[in-house]
Amino acid sequence: MHLHKYEKYWLGAGIVGLIVFLIILGFGAFYLGTHPQSHGEIIDPENIEANDAFKPENRGLTKVDEGRYVLNIVASAFNYDLGTDESGAPIKNIEIPAGSKVLVQATTPDVIHGLNFAGTNINMMVEPGYVSTMEVELNNPGEYTLVCNEYCGVGHHLMYGSLEVVE
Amino acid sequence: MVTKNQKHVNTNPESEPNLKGTLISVSILGAILLVTWIGALMLFLLR
Repeated sequence: MHLHKYEKYWLGAGIVGLIVFLIILGFGAFYLGTHPQSHGEIIDPENIEANDAFKPENRGLTKVDEGRYVLNIVASAFNYDLGTDESGAPIKNIEIPAGSKVLVQATTPDVIHGLNFAGTNINMMVEPGYVSTMEVELNNPGEYTLVCNEYCGVGHHLMYGSLEVVE
Repeated sequence: MVTKNQKHVNTNPESEPNLKGTLISVSILGAILLVTWIGALMLFLLR
């Protein structure tokens, strides 16, 4: 088969690109352990409290070590449960010192929701029956809005909260 | 007799087409793809 010289250049670039992508994919999957956020940890959506992380007293932000936090969130139609403060009022704003590592764990008892702190890498789907997990390091101070980015029903736009990364 | 002008006449219909414009346009497309990929990666790394 005859190929023009320029076609060979472009085919070569395509093949090199494919190999580079496969190497990146393999490195991410097998060496770094990258996986979808809901990669198989299952939970009974009818009884999410059977999982310690989603018991009412464990919801919201918990400091587990110096610079390490766990953030447990229950997304439901149409609210994010980020725990309660001392007076029992629901928390809507979370404060985390910059440079902290945060493990975010979320689930839902009803329908598929999104969980996105806009402007950070925390962005995942929350599916009934699964625990979505993601660990991030929050280095950039600022205020980030928590929004649902999977259309979940008539009250979709009422699901919000905020995260403040403070110096 | 072959004159100077006749040398430049293309008598072979299966000769190489000129693909310079094609190479330049796909290279521009390739550059745009690279910029968007690197842009998305930088967004992920800097956030």
